[in-house]
Amino acid sequence: MTTDSSSGVHEHHWETSWSPFAVVIGIFFLVVLTFSAHYVYENTLLTIVCAGIGTPFLLAGIAKWVHEGLTEKPLISGVAGVGLPIFIISEVFIFLALFVTYWVMRLSAPEWPPEGTPHINTALPIIMTIILVSSSWTAHVAEEKAEANDLAGFRTWIWYTIILGTLFFGCTAYEYNHLLSEGFGPSTNAFSTIFYTITGFHASHVLIGLGAFFAVLIPAYKGMTNHTLTTCVSVYWHFVDVVWFFVLSQIYFW
Amino acid sequence: MSTETETFNWKEWVFTTDHKRIGVLYLIGSMAAFAVAGVMALLIRIEQSTLGPTIIEDGTTYNEWLYFHGAAMILAFLIPGLTGFAANYFLPLMIGAKDVAFPRINAFSIWLFYAAIVLALVSIVIPDSPDIMWTGYPPYSITTNANTAFYVFTVHLLGFSSILGAVNFLVTVIYMRAPGMGWNQLNIFVWTTVAAFAIQLVFIPVLAAAVTMLLFDKYLGTHFFDPAEGGDVLLYQNLFWFYSHPAVYVIFLPAVGILFEVVASMAKNRVFNYKACVYGGILGIVIITGEVWVHHLYVAGMPDWLRIGQMVTTLLISVPVGLIVLSLWGTLYKASITYNVAMLYAAACFFLVLVGGLTGIPLALTVVTVHLSETSFVHAHFHFIMALFAAFAMFSGIYYWFPKMTGRSADGKLAVFSFWSNVIGVNVTFWPLFIIGVEGMPRRYWDYEMFPHFEPYHQVATAGAFLIAIGMAGTMINWIIAARSGEKVGENPWKSKSLEWTHCPSPPGPGNFPEDVVVSEDWTPYDYNK
Repeated sequence: MTTDSSSGVHEHHWETSWSPFAVVIGIFFLVVLTFSAHYVYENTLLTIVCAGIGTPFLLAGIAKWVHEGLTEKPLISGVAGVGLPIFIISEVFIFLALFVTYWVMRLSAPEWPPEGTPHINTALPIIMTIILVSSSWTAHVAEEKAEANDLAGFRTWIWYTIILGTLFFGCTAYEYNHLLSEGFGPSTNAFSTIFYTITGFHASHVLIGLGAFFAVLIPAYKGMTNHTLTTCVSVYWHFVDVVWFFVLSQIYFW
Repeated sequence: MSTETETFNWKEWVFTTDHKRIGVLYLIGSMAAFAVAGVMALLIRIEQSTLGPTIIEDGTTYNEWLYFHGAAMILAFLIPGLTGFAANYFLPLMIGAKDVAFPRINAFSIWLFYAAIVLALVSIVIPDSPDIMWTGYPPYSITTNANTAFYVFTVHLLGFSSILGAVNFLVTVIYMRAPGMGWNQLNIFVWTTVAAFAIQLVFIPVLAAAVTMLLFDKYLGTHFFDPAEGGDVLLYQNLFWFYSHPAVYVIFLPAVGILFEVVASMAKNRVFNYKACVYGGILGIVIITGEVWVHHLYVAGMPDWLRIGQMVTTLLISVPVGLIVLSLWGTLYKASITYNVAMLYAAACFFLVLVGGLTGIPLALTVVTVHLSETSFVHAHFHFIMALFAAFAMFSGIYYWFPKMTGRSADGKLAVFSFWSNVIGVNVTFWPLFIIGVEGMPRRYWDYEMFPHFEPYHQVATAGAFLIAIGMAGTMINWIIAARSGEKVGENPWKSKSLEWTHCPSPPGPGNFPEDVVVSEDWTPYDYNK
């Protein structure tokens, strides 16, 4: 070890980073405490305070984390491209658990859809499918641009993806708004329970994906990209796309 | 490089991304959870020591103790202690890696774990403390006035932490083994950790989904578990045990992995039947573990034909478990065994796994289990196999690796005394529960006035609990003293052949190894018989 420290380059010291700590504080306040303050203790002031503390921690933590990921040399590079698919296995199982719940409830029901379900428009989900598949394609083009070191092209195509993703999310919001106005809320019946949970859980993945696109887009304006990170975000987005087909076929067209 | 001359820098701990420091943080956090949950256990035993109310006036407080004792022991002590502390500190050292593949994600995992511990501790002191056991069965968990949300979020935080840990360690083992290290040259502990994380990766999400539905049912008014509205109340139990039965193996596997390390080093012997143990035993458990959970619902309601199928799969999993235990015993064959404190705990585990494992067989048999279900026989069975076996294995590991972590030995009179207090204590506590369980003592009752003749048995069990309390306190005090002033024993006091002992200083500094590790084709971590 003495030989290393004399060269100055490989001097051994304890590696640190405050970003994971900040993200945890952010999640703890923004998710755990904000939900509890609002739904369990029904205290608006406390809810606002918790969300107000959590948000800056979360954003600062993620920004710092991405910055470190783009600037520091890791111990071993490129393995995130394997880590993310492993993580997706776990995502698959959470969706599977929700779908199994749906199948159990539906197949044991005397009538389906149960009483109180309004007509659910199937044209909108078709449009949403076209939007989401297109966004998967634009994400793929962006990835190719990044590989060709075309940074301007990369930014443009990420923007297209973000716009399409936002549009998809807007469609979900529109649909929810419409159904809620017809008196079909999460607590209406068994179908509404599963409908809002599965589509909502998918929509939350769309939101996370959008956040991830911003996390690669913003550093790209400073000329910083990372092939592995871009691939990961893209693969995640394709996964969100694939899950949508299950949502579409099981919830809307069965 | 001596770490003793370094001054304490809190930032280097709180913001650390080093796997060893994260491992130590896991150890501190899980031991804190263990201590608080242990106090709960003692309170439970004191309450049971006399018929009628002893120290509390109603069952709600008792339910809150049961909740915290169960949830904290399993989710915040055993799993993080084994897959958090032991895996973090020693797995990278065993495979010759400088750190894990994603050090920042590792730091993220540890602080998610601490967030969960904070939430769990807060949930003891709030007025609406959760009173739903660690299982959180609906409908009670939905209709209770207590705070079910904190239970759900505790599970979420720990689950997220473990899933990210799984991603991290699987990638680490796949890509960061020292050059030359093949799959058949890995430490058994590495294999068991990989298996435990593979199980975590697949099964935790299902639990996360189940408790999320609980949250929605209670706070958003959905109807997942409400039969009146087309929900299914048993669905929760199925989803819950789909994770929580495999969780038993998430605990068992790394625990037995630690025992292999200790036993091979102390017996100076190769691991008996290495390949049968790894590919038959460890991977066998991973494959069968997902088909066993329904036996938790034997009396909750299921068709008879399913009971038979579940009996078969439940009995079947004892085959891979048996292969592992056989390898463990075989490793002692013709060995001259060093009986230090680590080996004493390991030897106790040989006994605990036998009692816990054999009492599991009647519980798998449908005809017997309908009688034994929800009695203290079940309670004693899973304490032997899961709680005691895994905790003793972890203690064995801590004594074994203590010189690696501190440069000092923790073996001494207090260590031996507290070992005997622990091992006698657990037997005094749990054997009476087997006996009265067969005779019909129900689990989870805060009062048992309908069974006055069980009172002496409960009193014996409570006496045993105090022996355990003395032993555990002695153990903790011993570690704290030894970390500061234990005898210095050098880098490899046990003369082990495993990489964490042979190639890096005690304690290892940043970067772990002074020189990059390369192993030869015929190297094994159990190379004692040449």
